[in-house]
Amino acid sequence: MKLVPFSYNLRSLFVRKGATTLTVLGIGATVAMLSGVLALEQGFRTIFTESGRERVAVMLRPGAGSEGESAFSRERADVLVKSSPEIAVDDEGRPLASRESYLAVRRFKLDGGETNVSIRGVQTASFDLAGDRLRIIEGRRFTPGSDEVIVGAKLPGRVRDCRVDDVIVLNTTPFRVVGVFEYDGPFGSEIWGDVERLMEALERPGFNRVIAKVKDGVSFEAFAERVADDQQAPAKVLSEREYLTAQTTMLSITLKLLGNFLAVIMGIAAVFTATNTMLSVIEARTQEIGILKSIGFRPLSIFASFLLESLILGLAGGAVGAVLTLPLNGIETGTTNFATFTEIAFAFRVTPEVLTTAISFALILGLLGGAWPAWRASRMNPVEALRRH
Amino acid sequence: MAGALPLRLVFKNLFRHPVRSALTAASLTVAFFLLCTLQSLVVTLDAGVEDAKSDRLVVQSAVSLYVILPESYDAKIRSVEGVEGTCRWTWFGGYYQNPSNFFAQFATSEQTLFSIYPELSIVEGSAERFMSDRSSCLVGEELAAVYRWKVGDTVPLIGTIFPRTDGSTWNFRIAGIYRSSAASVDNRTMFFHHEYLSKSLEDGAANGPDGVGVYVVKVKDGADVQSVMSRIDGLFAKGPQRVQTTTEAEFQAQFVSMVGNIPFFVSSIGMAVFFAILLAVLNTMLMAAREQTHDAGILKALGFGGRTVFLVLMLQSLALSVVGGGLGVLAAVGSSAGIRHALGSMFPLYEVTTETTVAGLIGAVVLGLVAGLVPALRLGRLSCVAALRLEK
Repeated sequence: MKLVPFSYNLRSLFVRKGATTLTVLGIGATVAMLSGVLALEQGFRTIFTESGRERVAVMLRPGAGSEGESAFSRERADVLVKSSPEIAVDDEGRPLASRESYLAVRRFKLDGGETNVSIRGVQTASFDLAGDRLRIIEGRRFTPGSDEVIVGAKLPGRVRDCRVDDVIVLNTTPFRVVGVFEYDGPFGSEIWGDVERLMEALERPGFNRVIAKVKDGVSFEAFAERVADDQQAPAKVLSEREYLTAQTTMLSITLKLLGNFLAVIMGIAAVFTATNTMLSVIEARTQEIGILKSIGFRPLSIFASFLLESLILGLAGGAVGAVLTLPLNGIETGTTNFATFTEIAFAFRVTPEVLTTAISFALILGLLGGAWPAWRASRMNPVEALRRH
Repeated sequence: MAGALPLRLVFKNLFRHPVRSALTAASLTVAFFLLCTLQSLVVTLDAGVEDAKSDRLVVQSAVSLYVILPESYDAKIRSVEGVEGTCRWTWFGGYYQNPSNFFAQFATSEQTLFSIYPELSIVEGSAERFMSDRSSCLVGEELAAVYRWKVGDTVPLIGTIFPRTDGSTWNFRIAGIYRSSAASVDNRTMFFHHEYLSKSLEDGAANGPDGVGVYVVKVKDGADVQSVMSRIDGLFAKGPQRVQTTTEAEFQAQFVSMVGNIPFFVSSIGMAVFFAILLAVLNTMLMAAREQTHDAGILKALGFGGRTVFLVLMLQSLALSVVGGGLGVLAAVGSSAGIRHALGSMFPLYEVTTETTVAGLIGAVVLGLVAGLVPALRLGRLSCVAALRLEK
């Protein structure tokens, strides 16, 4: 089968610059919308899932879905740490486990309005567990036992009273900000202080969670199972990665649903536009189609040729959409984590997956838009086509 | 004859390419359906703020949404000058059968609920029955419809914040089904006796934090709202829990503010949708203008002015946009009940308001004007000879 030369399609796209540009831009806008939402989802997912450590166990009260809901009395937390030989120890033989308190506190944004900021009471072991992931970039760590806090690097630019030497009043107790820290993960939007001091200031009845490093060689699942069935101090054990992923499932699903919903609705509109463009292309070139047919091109070649032209439109639209999305990459934004109503700062991430999805989507739009017009072209009667003026 | 608008020509031209017109109108329909739906989501977020009562105040912890207030505050607040009554609201956070069956449940003051919230009325069962049965509950009309609950049914809930000590479910008998006539309370909430929750915690039948989420305060007629607010705040300034008293409107607005950038994201998406659909209509109008060049030449030769030629094309653009966009707006209005149902408790107040509908229609007109402008102007300015000479 002889194929219609590719250059024929390319040239004709350039001849009808106006329609080509508008169709490409229309597909581009649709694609950009989809990939923008996907880039948001990727950014959110990265900061949560990918920052979660596999061998760090998050222990919650049985039945609790998040640390906000979870609670441990002092005794229970102690039993949990002391009676778990699976927990790794540091050089001096102390367990690498930390009892933490957690509360989303009301704070005011710099640009007005209220937001909720996670405030975490930690023990020194939390820093040991964090290791290099936590870096003090300004000031110093808080002194254990004192009314001092350090703030995540994402906060000073968004929330009031979060610069070094500012004072944060929690209920009635003032806390001094002594440092700013960076953390690759959601902790970068938190305030950290001494767990005992914070629990007293905020009148917390107990700890919210216990985190611990699981010894190398110990099966995480076996540990989780044993603790879940423990008689004295049962707890729900998740790896930090599982925990963080679970926290964002709802938002991830919402964003994906939104992305799909937009893609389908606007995809329909883009397909219709592409169909219109291709129909008018074919009408304007009726005579040419007649000539092609009369010089021996088969209907299938003509079908393929016009479908290809439509695919090129789609591809170009996908490229435009991708180019429109690229500048989003790295832009910091914040969204509400509905599990806690806290604001999490993160960056859009235009990943290769996002781009691949965008381009594939654009090609599908081109394919769907071009199929029917191309079929019509292939079915034209050569004599009538030539006669048409 | 010159000057009369050949409306028949507008009509004929629209049907010259029925497929193209239909596809363009259909694109407009889906796009305007989307625009109206997105806009309604944003509007819904603000619905609670607009319907809030100015004589109701909300007393909550100044520290955190998750910090509850002592029960002893109730009597203290009631004794403040200018306060008529209080109603407790404590978030229960339980689920029915499965965690995905999410709806709001509040422990509340059964005696004052109806006097402080006159927008609530009982459509089935009775308020007396609710008040006299300590383990009974009230459910909203829409909530009852979702789970097909009737008065007399028992609703078992699993407590997440307040698990029962023996691991069993909380069982609430439905004493009544309420309807709310204002957006300040939605129709998808369950209310039960605060006293029942407090007693269960006290008896050790359940675990969980002991206290009250927020106190809603009704201000006496004629009392100065601002001074009542500062009196309540002042009462607890030294602890044990500092409070923040706001009007109901401010309280609702706080939640909207906490939703963060979402309205901005939604608006950005809306702009992209509008832009994409504008390009689609512009594309169609450029094609139409090209095909009608010859006609334009004939019209001019017959003595019609450039204005007529301009209007013939402009009216086609307007007709397409208004019909297509209008159908989309209509689809959004028609599907609003279905969408509200699908969104469930996330947006219990979802509604396509009259403002949204009007804005959608205006948007369609504007889009038609903008898309038609350049092609119509070009065609109108073309000289008769040039237009006729141009090959089709």
